[in-house]
Amino acid sequence: MQEKVEAQNILSMNSVEVLYDNVILAIKGVSVQVPKGEMIALLGSNGAGKSTTLKAISGLLKAERGRISRGEITFQGTDITEAPAQKRVEMGICHVIEGRRVFEHLTPDENLTAAAPRGMSRSTLNAEKDKIYAYFPRLAERKNSQAGYLSGGEQQMLAIGRALVTQPKLLMLDEPSLGLAPFLVEEIFGILQKINKDEGLSVLLVEQNALAALEIVSQGYLIENGRVVMHGTAEALKSNSDIQEFYLGGGETDFHNVKHYSRRKRWLS
Amino acid sequence: MDWVFLSELAINGALTGLLYSLFAIGLVLIYKASSVPNLAQGGLTMVGAYVVLALARDVGLPLWLAIPLAAVVMFGLGFGIERVALRRLAGRPVVMILMLTLGLDIFLRGTTLAIWGGTSRSMELGVSYDPLFLGDIFISRIHLVGAGVALALFVAFMLFFRTRTGIKLRAIADDYMASWSVGISVERGVGLSWALASVVAVAAGVIWGEIQGVDQALSLLLLKGLTVAVLGGLDSILGAVIAGIILGVVENIGADFLDPLVGGGSRELIVAAVLILTVMIRPHGLFGRHDIERV
Repeated sequence: MQEKVEAQNILSMNSVEVLYDNVILAIKGVSVQVPKGEMIALLGSNGAGKSTTLKAISGLLKAERGRISRGEITFQGTDITEAPAQKRVEMGICHVIEGRRVFEHLTPDENLTAAAPRGMSRSTLNAEKDKIYAYFPRLAERKNSQAGYLSGGEQQMLAIGRALVTQPKLLMLDEPSLGLAPFLVEEIFGILQKINKDEGLSVLLVEQNALAALEIVSQGYLIENGRVVMHGTAEALKSNSDIQEFYLGGGETDFHNVKHYSRRKRWLS
Repeated sequence: MDWVFLSELAINGALTGLLYSLFAIGLVLIYKASSVPNLAQGGLTMVGAYVVLALARDVGLPLWLAIPLAAVVMFGLGFGIERVALRRLAGRPVVMILMLTLGLDIFLRGTTLAIWGGTSRSMELGVSYDPLFLGDIFISRIHLVGAGVALALFVAFMLFFRTRTGIKLRAIADDYMASWSVGISVERGVGLSWALASVVAVAAGVIWGEIQGVDQALSLLLLKGLTVAVLGGLDSILGAVIAGIILGVVENIGADFLDPLVGGGSRELIVAAVLILTVMIRPHGLFGRHDIERV
């Protein structure tokens, strides 16, 4: 039984603790499972530990002098807790880091070339690029301009496209909606959903924009203060009154009936 | 005004300037990948020249074989420097890496002094010292050869930065973290840039060794090379070439006017003035990269 569960999860993170500079405990025993071919969201407020969780999975922690001090991460059944970041990309984990971070002085086309895995033939690379341009037609139009001058939405598309060149099996995105107009968020999320359906790509999405994220994922984890405090299907989370109050901005619409006691995040205490 | 004399000064200045560019290209390569001006580039150039001489004189190989072989040795040395010294400093403040390159320069100078001594040795490339006349203008052959080498390297690197490996190096220069995130080996990229800069150092070492002899003074080329690189913008190879020509011409013509007034030695003053003024007035140099700010 256990075996079977393992096989269904492309990624399994068990009670992972992360230390920065050997002292600051950033996440305290986070467990997250990503079933193969599904889209999962990590929700939570600023500084809750969502980005750290992604960095622990992609191995980018090391670049910020962080390390996993407890717990383990397995990807397709292989323990990757100690694997270097480059190896994890080769295995099929790609992390679209926060803030887009495109290679500004390169053209979009060169951005895609830069991410090509070692040994990828020219024809495969061109096929990958064509596929990405088909998903993001806006990128195709501007492929030879300087990436630093693309709009925010286009840069986010480029960052996702650049990750796709590495031929990932698990794509992790850190706040792709940050600073983008709602219609752009909708467009990008729609494309993500399409890629997920067409290619069976598993997606782990970190979002503060819970409303948009819960529309496209199947399950969500809520992280607060470095711990997973809630986990459920997207439907269950959407209908949870605490989630509505704190993350969806819904709940009270009638100001005459506003509750007079202040609601607390009860699960924190 | 004697126009023939002036153009002779300008042309020879430009040729000398291209030799500064030859040196500066190495600085630019490393700056592009690690955002650090490599203060050991002078030391590398000197070691490049010594390795050529060691292979040619001590081992007895012909020069046409000794030079490419020295390039291979130096390529390995460049990679080795990244592996042994720089990798530990990844993520540390840039000033630490700067100090490391300074220490490396002193170390290389000391090493050559210990092995080969301080006596100046000649390169003996076999380039003729007979004057070459272009109309009435006298041109030095070795300078012409060196300028040709500089331009050839310039073209080679422009092409290289369009290849996949070259694009990856430029990506590393743009953003370390994003490079890691898509599986680019930043460490190997930085190593490669040091290796390539070390190969450029062999070219510069051979040409400059022929002109002024091979000894520890070769490492002092750093001052002029750094001035050229800063004027060109530190991360632009085209900038290094054009800034080299500008500095060479300004230095040659300026010195001709100023030397009679101050009694000689104004060359160094002009170079220093160019360096200081560039940093004060135009810190990005002529072709340096600005950080892009979208509005």
